Amino acid sequence: MSVGIKLLIDSDLDKVALLARAVRALCSDVLDEDSSHAVEISLVEAINNVIKHGYEGKPGRNVGVVVSLRPDHVEIEVIDQAEPMEASLLSNASGDRFEFDITDLDALPEGGMGLALIQMNMDEVEYHAGQGENRLRMVKRHAQRTPSS
Amino acid sequence: MRLIDEQRNGILVLRIDEKRVDASKAPAFKDEVAKRIEAGHSQVVLDMSGVEFVDSSGLGALVSCLKRIGPRGNLAIAGASGAVIRLFSLTRMDRVFSLHDTVDAAVEQMSS
Repeated sequence: MSVGIKLLIDSDLDKVALLARAVRALCSDVLDEDSSHAVEISLVEAINNVIKHGYEGKPGRNVGVVVSLRPDHVEIEVIDQAEPMEASLLSNASGDRFEFDITDLDALPEGGMGLALIQMNMDEVEYHAGQGENRLRMVKRHAQRTPSS
Repeated sequence: MRLIDEQRNGILVLRIDEKRVDASKAPAFKDEVAKRIEAGHSQVVLDMSGVEFVDSSGLGALVSCLKRIGPRGNLAIAGASGAVIRLFSLTRMDRVFSLHDTVDAAVEQMSS
């Protein structure tokens, strides 16, 4: 059995927290604290990227999120109608972003961390762009627990 | 962005009175802390005990504050827990920032 829901927000950074809290609450029945945070940070980074880069910070556009609670995983899809992201940005992102010299203050990253965090936190990440719509699909696996009704 | 200022032994303790430091708040947070550093505060403790979530923009703002205060100053973080500490660990920033369980511990170490 699976449970799914679609949520929609305006492309406004002020709205992201509301959606993130809702998704975290949805996932809380099946995910532990660490995995819940993994999903929340990945979702927030994905939406921030869409708003800041895809929609260039402009409000008035849609960001959709589909959450599906499956018996052994949580699936999140972030859907937008912005200019597609260069797919290699995502496939090349990894924890290597954080292999900086901790003694070199100037070298510490202040940005460009979002996609790496998504890759580090989710078990599967796929990006599909086409027909005016982009879909970022993210999966977090978990030990089987039954969602409460 | 709500910050509450307190002075302790010449150290500025800034309590972040927000549950989230994310992309919607990071620019204002960075500006507010920068103002205080420009005003001459070089010993700063950020009290994050009330913060439940930080994203990469919030983390980037913290790094920016650390760079601005520079090697001659001190920026410590107190009271971070849960999801906030997890993000610091994931990004290895727990090895960059001086992290303390409480404001008292941070102030004590900075004063010594």
